[in-house]
Amino acid sequence: MAAAVILLSFVLAVGFLLIILSCALWANWLPLLVALTFVLAPLPNAIFARCGSDDFSTDSEGSGPADLGRFITSMVVITGFAFPLILAHAEIIHPAACAMSIIGGGLVYGTILSYAAAFRHESDEF
Amino acid sequence: MSLPRSNYDPRRVCLNPFPNLDFHLGKYRRTIGVYIAGGLFALAHWLFLDAAVLSSHYHPPPDAPYDSAPVHVTFVDWVPGILSALGFLVVNLIDKDRIKGEEAYADARAVWRARLFLFIGFALMAGGLAGSVTILVLKYVVPSYPERFTYYGYANVSQNIAIMLSAVTLWVAQSVPSDYEYSLSI
Repeated sequence: MAAAVILLSFVLAVGFLLIILSCALWANWLPLLVALTFVLAPLPNAIFARCGSDDFSTDSEGSGPADLGRFITSMVVITGFAFPLILAHAEIIHPAACAMSIIGGGLVYGTILSYAAAFRHESDEF
Repeated sequence: MSLPRSNYDPRRVCLNPFPNLDFHLGKYRRTIGVYIAGGLFALAHWLFLDAAVLSSHYHPPPDAPYDSAPVHVTFVDWVPGILSALGFLVVNLIDKDRIKGEEAYADARAVWRARLFLFIGFALMAGGLAGSVTILVLKYVVPSYPERFTYYGYANVSQNIAIMLSAVTLWVAQSVPSDYEYSLSI
């Protein structure tokens, strides 16, 4: 399990490195918002996940608040991918900076998702 | 044309019901539907914001003596998207069980009011779509601007279509009966 933690932290560092490089190489710090977006993406799901599930319903069954959390999470993730694309389309940032920030953001979000998936079972046993 | 009345279900909302989509996704069908709906909703607004940012950062050719853009994205272009988003909100704030008029909610006036608000929501979304097509035709196509400017109008229409698709996806995903309710109704 320690190897998984080291690997995940390494991937997270690479993701942030890519995003910061995409800003610093062209001295345009707008793509840094992508990092903020992807860090905030799992937050609505985490907040609303505790709502709506009671003793009589299973986890897979949806409820209103849980659906709202998933909806906002999906919106934020799509925002993180669309924002650099739009900046590149309007020629505000370089296309290479767009690609680097998207890849970096994907790595950061993938790290958060896989971390949550890998360590969920331990909290359930408690 | 007269429709047969024998198998008419009074709980039904539409005369032609939504198809019962079965993608063999199992118990995650509702979750995936909600995720797709949220993605479509965000995509819709980014499509339009793309056009707005393009219009705001339009670079004239270097030999042009002044700002040579013949048309810009103004507040008029924002109105259909605002209407569609309002309609999306109204449609999704309505309790689905109340529209069906089931026995638990026997108050006929409440059912009537819920259906009225459902109609207002769908009318807002349809009005947004029609308004975006109107803006595309009247503002961009009729003056025959070059293609990079008519893109603003097409982005507006795509935004409203995507919001409608998002509402339909969310509706279908949320009206899937879960296994728990299914076992109760048997």
